[in-house]
Amino acid sequence: MDCKIVPSICSYCGTGCGVLFLVVDGKLVGTMPMKTHPVNEGKLCIKGWNLHEYVNSFIRLKSPLIKKEGRFQKCSWDEAIGFTAQRLRSIVQEHGPDSVGVLVSAKMSNEENYLAQKFARAVIGTNNVDHCARL
Amino acid sequence: MMNRELKNQVKQWLDQGVVDLFFAYRMLDGHPLPHAFTKDRIEEVEELVTGPARYPLEKLAGRIMTFYPEAVVGLVARECDQRALNVLSTWNQVGPERVKTIPLSCCPSNLKEHSDCTYLEPHVSGTCKAEMGFKFGSTTEDVELLSPEVRFNHWMYEFGKCIKCYGCRNICPVCFCKECSLEHPDLVGTGRLPPEIPLFHIVRAVHMAGRCIDCGLCEDACPAEIPLRLLYTKVNEIVKEVFGYETGTSPGQSPFQVLGEPRMPG
Repeated sequence: MDCKIVPSICSYCGTGCGVLFLVVDGKLVGTMPMKTHPVNEGKLCIKGWNLHEYVNSFIRLKSPLIKKEGRFQKCSWDEAIGFTAQRLRSIVQEHGPDSVGVLVSAKMSNEENYLAQKFARAVIGTNNVDHCARL
Repeated sequence: MMNRELKNQVKQWLDQGVVDLFFAYRMLDGHPLPHAFTKDRIEEVEELVTGPARYPLEKLAGRIMTFYPEAVVGLVARECDQRALNVLSTWNQVGPERVKTIPLSCCPSNLKEHSDCTYLEPHVSGTCKAEMGFKFGSTTEDVELLSPEVRFNHWMYEFGKCIKCYGCRNICPVCFCKECSLEHPDLVGTGRLPPEIPLFHIVRAVHMAGRCIDCGLCEDACPAEIPLRLLYTKVNEIVKEVFGYETGTSPGQSPFQVLGEPRMPG
């Protein structure tokens, strides 16, 4: 009988509430708040209570997709990144670096947010960086 | 029961196959978390802790038992857990022969350094809540001192903070309906906050009549600090007065078993 209660952090917003996952036979089947976590003290919002549903959702993307001939088709990571880099480069070349904007959010970690703004400023060469918290 | 005795008892039950899983608390990264102790990893029982943090272990156990229909589980049970188990077994959610409990004392005596319950810890009520709503620790007598108009306004203030997280229902150890009225599209609309008040909370309160075992986990789980336990206490006071039924201790199901008219035989 494989039953585990695994502590984790909610992946939705920047608050970072402590959650407990109920894992049965390796599958995530339920979510509960962590009562002693200093951030949420045993309370969750509706998104946090339903983490187990999105993790197992059948509509989660499992591979990169590229639109070819009007339809999204599965592709490899290399192909996806290569295609994106080539398109970004040509947009910057044609319309200048300020034609690109980078939007970050609290769903990403602080480190990822730092990386994104570094990418915008140092790589693309634009100051057009904003965050969903400012909206 | 002292911790040493408790650990020995759990080990013995697991070792002898009295139970397949034992639910109690284990210290992990500084947090006392619910844990399913097994015979395979019996050494983990050494890390078993008891303390004020409360989780609905009987709800967890019930959930796990749906995956393992043959399992017999054990759990540490405070008095509220025991009442919840009584109600769950009365409503055929948990077979009493499949659950074995070790009682955990939660008596709030001054002789104990700290009672084993988060509910007994002092809560500070914010000034706005104290003035416009109900302070923590309010009793039904406190509320009944207020006039009906003032009482209604205070309740509407409290309900107005609701963010419809369903935490009260999700954590409730005796809530088990597969189709919850609070998610019925004809009863409860979607897309705005707060949900339609006081209807949303009254629907829940009515369903808690003869069901709520007064554990207070709903109040613990409410991010808006709505005094839910107080509301359900009042409902169950009425149930006791009118029907003589005390949820969790009176034997058998509550009087609210039949919807509509009972069908006559023959």
